[in-house]
Amino acid sequence: MKRNRAAVLLAFLLVIVLLAGCGEGNNNKKASVEQAPELVYATAKDVNDMNPHLYPGSLAAQGIVYESLVENTPEGIKPQLAESWSISEDGKVYTFQLRKNVKFHDGEPFNAEAVKLNIEAVQRNAAKHAWIKLSSKLDNVVAIDEHTVQLKLKEPYYPTLLELSMTRPYVFLSPKDFLNGETKDGVAGYNGTGPYKLDEQVTEQFARFAANEQYWNGAPQVKTITAKVLPAGETTLLALQKGEVNFVFTDDRGADSIDVDAMQRLADSGDYQIVRSKSMNTKMIVANSSNAASPVSEKAVREAIWQSIDRETISRTIFNETETPAETLFSLNVNYADVGLQKRDYNPEAAAKLLEEAGWTKDGGAEVRTKDGRQLSIKLYYDVNSASQKTQAELLQSETTKIGMKLELVGEESPAIANRRSTGDYELLFNQTWGLAYDPQSTITAFATESAYRFTTSGIPQAEELYRKIDAVMVSTDEETRKALYKDILTIVHDEAVFIPITNGSVTVVAPSNLQGISFKQTQYELPFEQMRFE
Amino acid sequence: MKLLQRLMKDKLAAASLCVVAATLLIGLCAPLIAPHPPNEVNMELRFSGASWGYWLGNDHLGRCILSRLIYGIRPSVLWVLAALGATAIIGAFLGFAAGYFRGKTDAVIMRICDVMLSFPGYVMTLAIVGIMGAGLTNILIAFVMMKWAWFARVFRTAVMQYADADYVKFARVLGIGHIGIMTRHIAPIALPEIAVISSGALGSMILQISGLSFLGLGIQAPHAEWGMMMNEARAVMFTRPELMLAPGLAIIVLVSAVNFLSDGLQKALDPKLMLSEKRAKAGAGVIPPRLSGKEVA
Amino acid sequence: MLGYALKRIGAVIPLLVVISFLTFILNGLSPMDPAEVVLHAQGVPTITEDLIAATRSELGMDRPLLARYWDWLLSCLQLDFGSSYVSGKPVWSLLGPALMNTLNLTLVSSLFIIVLSIALGIVCALREGKWLDLSVRSVSFLLTSMPSYWLSALMVWYFSVKLDLLPTSGMDSHLSYVLPVAVIVIGYAGLYFRIIRSSMLSNLNEDYVLYGRACGLSERSLTIQVLRNSLQVAVSVFGLAIPVILGSTVVVENIFAWPGLGTLTVNSILNRDFPIIQAYVLVLAVAFVLFNTASDLLNTAVNPKLRKGI
Repeated sequence: MKRNRAAVLLAFLLVIVLLAGCGEGNNNKKASVEQAPELVYATAKDVNDMNPHLYPGSLAAQGIVYESLVENTPEGIKPQLAESWSISEDGKVYTFQLRKNVKFHDGEPFNAEAVKLNIEAVQRNAAKHAWIKLSSKLDNVVAIDEHTVQLKLKEPYYPTLLELSMTRPYVFLSPKDFLNGETKDGVAGYNGTGPYKLDEQVTEQFARFAANEQYWNGAPQVKTITAKVLPAGETTLLALQKGEVNFVFTDDRGADSIDVDAMQRLADSGDYQIVRSKSMNTKMIVANSSNAASPVSEKAVREAIWQSIDRETISRTIFNETETPAETLFSLNVNYADVGLQKRDYNPEAAAKLLEEAGWTKDGGAEVRTKDGRQLSIKLYYDVNSASQKTQAELLQSETTKIGMKLELVGEESPAIANRRSTGDYELLFNQTWGLAYDPQSTITAFATESAYRFTTSGIPQAEELYRKIDAVMVSTDEETRKALYKDILTIVHDEAVFIPITNGSVTVVAPSNLQGISFKQTQYELPFEQMRFE
Repeated sequence: MKLLQRLMKDKLAAASLCVVAATLLIGLCAPLIAPHPPNEVNMELRFSGASWGYWLGNDHLGRCILSRLIYGIRPSVLWVLAALGATAIIGAFLGFAAGYFRGKTDAVIMRICDVMLSFPGYVMTLAIVGIMGAGLTNILIAFVMMKWAWFARVFRTAVMQYADADYVKFARVLGIGHIGIMTRHIAPIALPEIAVISSGALGSMILQISGLSFLGLGIQAPHAEWGMMMNEARAVMFTRPELMLAPGLAIIVLVSAVNFLSDGLQKALDPKLMLSEKRAKAGAGVIPPRLSGKEVA
Repeated sequence: MLGYALKRIGAVIPLLVVISFLTFILNGLSPMDPAEVVLHAQGVPTITEDLIAATRSELGMDRPLLARYWDWLLSCLQLDFGSSYVSGKPVWSLLGPALMNTLNLTLVSSLFIIVLSIALGIVCALREGKWLDLSVRSVSFLLTSMPSYWLSALMVWYFSVKLDLLPTSGMDSHLSYVLPVAVIVIGYAGLYFRIIRSSMLSNLNEDYVLYGRACGLSERSLTIQVLRNSLQVAVSVFGLAIPVILGSTVVVENIFAWPGLGTLTVNSILNRDFPIIQAYVLVLAVAFVLFNTASDLLNTAVNPKLRKGI
């Protein structure tokens, strides 16, 4: 009997301890939602290598640790680490006056020597930076004095300041972190000049950033920012609900994974707010015009696809209006993009007529059109990790079936898709423009680049003219010629319908409702965390 | 046939057999039964609830969930079954060869079996999908590659057991060829046991394939598959949990039926199974394949 | 015994070599050029022919297959599996911690599975055919038939969201273990409980039980005898079960954001990070073989009769 009683007592105690344990955990979490002195944001991918001169790292994280000479803002290029600059008459020499009293996180001074060392380290790994044309135009860097640095180009290149403003590679790491004077084989530390410094990083779990109290532009208000690795989708949503994370934004590679309804519910609960940026980029389908064996090498087929995409419905149902219908490759707020291009509306009948006129006919009761014994069957590649791409592909497939075009959907991992794009082994694939900071110049440069959109553009009759104009626009020094050239370029690719726009994407932020000062940068990959504060 | 009679006495097993058979039939006749084309998009009906036209409601593209469930039988069950069939045939062929010819053939085939069996099945499936790319075909190839060795072993044991039986010796004396002996005398005896192993493997394969589809490594859109349907439902799990229900229950019902059936088969076969199991144990301390072949997705 | 053990271990070495070779050539199945995979994985925005050529020679792709295999094998023996294509970090620095996390999860789960399935197996075998046995068995059948992701979703929804008792994901505290462990245990306990039960039953039907009973041995001592014999089966079953569980926590890890092997592997698959996939296969296959051999040796040590088999 005694033993029995002891057992009961023990069991009772155990239950109490367990309950207490649970209760405690609960309270802690509640507290963190209410006071929230820090931001914990969910990221689908590990922050990874923070080396700013290579590409595996998270842009959002690198963006708060490192800074560039100048900053790209909606009002144009603004000073950042350079206080002012001047450009020589011939457009080949850029002279920067550096900000004084800026220190790297490890206390090293930021000066002309550091700029020279960093840029030269980047240049020695030029092959990896081929996408950024400045890397091939840059001739040398001279440190004139402690706070003056001069960049000399081989030929004039108008997007120089734009490319210097990008989050990588032309940003600055403390020279003490270099390995043997280089950054291309890894670095010893991640000390930048930015508003936050990397505090702790546990692979595949989290990375914590602490406010840089010595930041030249004033210490940021939010003292700690943690990037927590969570699988996208409902796991993130749950974590938000429970306060395990309190900040989410559509980061890298369009992690458009949170159900819009669920997001709205969170906002309705009063704990969270939703903030959306203006249009940042364009989601599109890219057609391989150079694939002679494929029907998409015909302009009529591409136009028919263009006209069978019901952008309104996609925007309304799939994105709940978080993304707006896109009628042209670049939205009108992109520089040089407002050139009055002809809209192609959603119109299945017109699409069918186009196909009919181009010789794609339905014989008898056939479901799929044919021409010279060939079926109108096209493969569309999408990223298996993107739920919205899959849904759009399925919708489009169902639409095109009605006009007698068979779309075969192939889902692949994003590296495989990138590989197809660069080797030309595709007919249609989903893609997106690079974002405001990169559009139009980087995206347009990529039209002609082998590994980017060369296969997309090289099949059109005006390809040579297009490439010539792209080369010309980048070295143009006169604003008017530049405008004219951009207009020609955009008109050619629009008329040929090789880039079929779907929607304009924006950045969506879900944040605690008492967080103020949420704003956006010119790219969908980063946020200015240093301007945020809790009320 | 005796086996079937004995099986029918077990009510649970009989019911399970009916469920499995009905599922297969529905899957085979999907175009006749499904009320709507499975891939027909109708954005107006997005996330609608059950209605007379759409008994189970509509998914995020307004497609008929019932029709997708019915068409989903094909990759979820029929293709798995086909892969299992291919595996059994390859395994049977090699197992027969090993057990019947003995000697070097046996040694070589069994060494290969050893190697294949030393890779954990799920890991290899993932690896093959990882290297060759996502997709149903690659998963099925991985299944065949990983599972044939189990079958080969069982067939070999069965053949070894019976190759020395008097009637087989007798047949040989009569001058009946190798293939004749194999098909006429040994195959019928090994078959029931194969049925047990296959049915056991089937359940776990259905779970695995839907698990991989759930992770986004499986079937390609827009084809319906139960795991894929759940993956799609997962995105709206907390606003519309009912979407998880239909495919989830379908899997549970079918897999439990398969498991009950496999259990029933085992019971119906008990006397023979015990024999071979002892042999297998005496062999090299290996666990009978029907146990280790199982993995949970 | 020693001779047998040596023989058994001797047989393992060539097996391991073959396994490693197969794992090595696995990469060859890929339809993509590893150099391009590396460059895409590193996020290099624009890839030139020169860059591909440079990367190929950096990877040593221009050397003969066997030479590459030999070098790879030697470095693998020192736990150097090369560098991740994506992050450039040594594979082991990623795989090692993930392996530990998965091992923790596996061991905790296995412990529960073993305790639960042995307890249930014994109870059900002793009550064969009674309602307890029947109900436990039917429930176990149903539970093993549940897709683990479905079960996970259900449990997260109930315990984490509705009741707000447990964390939804991650590996922050001991409480984080509860849900993933529960899902794994539910998946496997039913399976292994049946094995224990049937081995108990077949032992109970052995002649020695009948004989013992005839001799008037108490039921209690008989049960203990049967238990001892059945536990031998349990040892070999669980020896194999642990690596199987180790290799199949993928789905559960993904749902609960467990920073383990499964999460790492699925991410690597999506990024085509071949060295990690390769190391993952190798490590688990080797673990599988070693566990297998160890449980085999353990078994034969307990039961010398088995030694004659080889």
